[in-house]
Amino acid sequence: MSALLELDRVSKSFSRGGLFSKQRVEAVKDVSFALEPDKPEIFTVIGESGSGKSTLARMILGIHAPSSGQVRLAGRDVATYERRAFMAEVQPIFQNPFEAFNPLKQLDRYLFMTAERFGDASGKGAAQAQADEALRQVGLSLAEIAGRFPHELSGGQLQRVAIARALVAKPRLIVADEPVSMVDASLRMSIVNLFGRLRDQLGLSIVYITHDLATAYYISDRLIIMQKGVVVEQGPARAVLSAPTHPYSRQLRDAVLTPDSAGAFRADHSPKAVATSGDMP
Amino acid sequence: MSEASDPAPVLEVRDLQAHFRTRYFGVNREVRAVDGVSFDVRRNEIYGLAGESSSGKTTLVKTIAGLLKPPLEMVGGSARFSFLPEWDAVGRAPPEVVRRIRWRHLSYIMQGSMNVLNPLRRIKHSFRDFAWRHLGGSKGEFDARAAAHLERVKLDPSVLSAYPHELSGGMRQRVTIALATICKPDFVIADEPTTALDVVVQKDVLAMIRNIQREMESSVLFITHDMGVHAALTDRLGIMYAGRLVEDGDTPDVFATPLHPYTRHLIASLPRIGDVKQREGLEGTPPNLAAPPPGCRFHPRCPLAMPVCATMVPAMVETLPRHRVACHAVNPGVAA
Amino acid sequence: MLTILRDLIRYNLEFRIGLVLVTIVLVMAGLSFVSPYPPGEVYIVPPDVPPSSTYWLGTTSRGQDVFWQLTFAIRNTLSFGIMVAVLSRIIALVVGLLAGYSGGWIDRVLMSINDTFIIIPLFPILILFYFVLRDTMSTTLLATIMACLGWAYDARLIRSVALSLKTREFTQTSIFSGMKTHEILAREHLPYVLPIVFSTTMNNMNWSIGIEVTLAVLGFTDINAPTIGGMIYWANQHTALVAGIWWWIAFPIGLVVMTFVGLFLLAVSMNEYIDPRSRLARMGGGR
Repeated sequence: MSALLELDRVSKSFSRGGLFSKQRVEAVKDVSFALEPDKPEIFTVIGESGSGKSTLARMILGIHAPSSGQVRLAGRDVATYERRAFMAEVQPIFQNPFEAFNPLKQLDRYLFMTAERFGDASGKGAAQAQADEALRQVGLSLAEIAGRFPHELSGGQLQRVAIARALVAKPRLIVADEPVSMVDASLRMSIVNLFGRLRDQLGLSIVYITHDLATAYYISDRLIIMQKGVVVEQGPARAVLSAPTHPYSRQLRDAVLTPDSAGAFRADHSPKAVATSGDMP
Repeated sequence: MSEASDPAPVLEVRDLQAHFRTRYFGVNREVRAVDGVSFDVRRNEIYGLAGESSSGKTTLVKTIAGLLKPPLEMVGGSARFSFLPEWDAVGRAPPEVVRRIRWRHLSYIMQGSMNVLNPLRRIKHSFRDFAWRHLGGSKGEFDARAAAHLERVKLDPSVLSAYPHELSGGMRQRVTIALATICKPDFVIADEPTTALDVVVQKDVLAMIRNIQREMESSVLFITHDMGVHAALTDRLGIMYAGRLVEDGDTPDVFATPLHPYTRHLIASLPRIGDVKQREGLEGTPPNLAAPPPGCRFHPRCPLAMPVCATMVPAMVETLPRHRVACHAVNPGVAA
Repeated sequence: MLTILRDLIRYNLEFRIGLVLVTIVLVMAGLSFVSPYPPGEVYIVPPDVPPSSTYWLGTTSRGQDVFWQLTFAIRNTLSFGIMVAVLSRIIALVVGLLAGYSGGWIDRVLMSINDTFIIIPLFPILILFYFVLRDTMSTTLLATIMACLGWAYDARLIRSVALSLKTREFTQTSIFSGMKTHEILAREHLPYVLPIVFSTTMNNMNWSIGIEVTLAVLGFTDINAPTIGGMIYWANQHTALVAGIWWWIAFPIGLVVMTFVGLFLLAVSMNEYIDPRSRLARMGGGR
């Protein structure tokens, strides 16, 4: 049986510059991994800005075509899918919940639209029922959302609506690009936990793209760490993050500041103790 | 801490109120973004302000810095700097006075370094624009001084003749730090200066801010929503929720014994590598500041809420030494 | 719609002034339908009578009542302006939104056509058309030609907004909600370009009326259809200013200036109202 999602030596390069000074920039280089079809998991892609993680997400979503290699969904090249059929299987969640919906439009229409186009809902009643069901799965209800505009909701609520919208299409895979980085701290863990529930209760696989090692450790099953388009380390999330082997992974792990890193730069340390890790170009 | 021996605050904020007042075609709105905040920042310390996106922390520092633009208005209270004792807020001083103290006594490090650095001008021109008239001297002397100061933030003097786009994000943010500190100001306001940076770079930039601050013995008001950064960097920490300060104290104390239920949640909900404990988000959502809940603004989400919380605003009380909190559950019967 | 109008009248001085001016102009145009004189007839009233209680704005040397002639002229000129504006807005919107959203070769093709139209010298082309078409040249035909020449700048403007809208996350949300391209353009992106469309509509009307007047004054249009420019043309032919018949020129010019100012004020005030930021603020969001 073929993998749910399989990246086979995927690379992506962009050309930059003008007519005479074209430069090729390799955003993603030779990335391969596979998600098993009957084993729902949260697969995390860790990377910082410029690591190519968002480009990777856009290739999985079929927004960009790889320059070389293949992204396969259920054994079939994503490029050969009819777009609608593909979207019924793979749905995205984006970084900024305040930008995910048109600020001038009511939220529920996105849910109804998705229900009509993917959830085979015929008629208003069916669409409403499907939207309500999806909203309940994320801890909201249609009664709370109907007729509301994005600015009336908090970032956390909006991100839930965005997840509900993705769920209405009944996809098998969700690609979430930095889904909690712009959600307030007090609401962030509810969203992260929600991803866990989607995996455990709905059997969804999730590609979780983040720069945040702590939530990756908390929620994900497997991960890859990317640097400048290249996978530098991969494996089971907790094992890798507990004992990273690649120098870059270690550098990343050591740079994470938590409440336990108390006083790393505080005045009662001697000035020499304030180490810099030397990222000077 | 050793700095505690210097009691005179550089900044005294008392009952500061700042509101957004908008009128659009008859729809009047008043958003009480900062509503009665009081705290002190002393010499030679980094005071951290933590809070969520709608907590009013950015509005608070804009008001303190005197960067008020309509619709934002300072409605009441004071924010007095020791180097400007005759005015109770920078925003109330006449423009020529403000010009005199800017950069010399009070400077800023903002989140987007590109907002400060003119993309079309070389770094040295930005330095001259901001700091030359405060420091004086010939052009050559000034440039040499700027080069020497750049070395403090571990940047090569050649950066001076570069354009902003030729530098990486981390280098640019270091340039803005150098720019903000070259006049050795008494007070630096840093608003999310590392939020846009990668964690590895962030660590260096934080160390840089700490080193420079210590060298100049200046005070820094440091705003970030990232509790990890506060833990690592700040000396004192104030927690804001919905336009009010709910807790402040020495940073290690706040992390060791958080008193306010909101602070407790903020610290407990952070996942940590190596710890698989289940972490929960907080029920409910931050309040709409155009119509905030009565009493304690946290009470609709508070696990310890009591009837009194919905009616009385809790006062900030020094419950532990140098550690204040505004909560009826901690200080029963003390209203503001 | 009515509440928008009410709010604008109540809170916006520019809108009130603009509304008064445009209403006067529209009433003038409307009065043409009850004119006692047919527009084409000459020497039906005594010539060269200064403004009086019988002939409010005087009469021309061709024996026409200036007031009633003006009602026809402004009606034709206005409908010409509206025709050009509407036609060219449609072209600019379709080209701008499609080019910005689609990108790639569609964008390149559309924009090279666009740039061709930008650099075409407008006046010689119009005069050329006049000489080629001469007898068949009608107001409608001229409006169509003008519309074809008047969309390119605004299409570029709309394209630049569409380009930035394309990269916003809600566009991807719309795509993954199953919306088709034309639905995204019409429902998601259009509200953001409407302010541009509005302000450029008024500007475009002013531009096209200005060109029409210029062409007419020079005699390069159908001079028998009464327009503001046509009136000034005939006044010039009869050396009205030298002869002291100032009202023949002053009133048409006054009316067309009124139209310009009125349209401009409406554009400015409606822009402020329809702007997404101001709209959001009224809905209670944003700051």
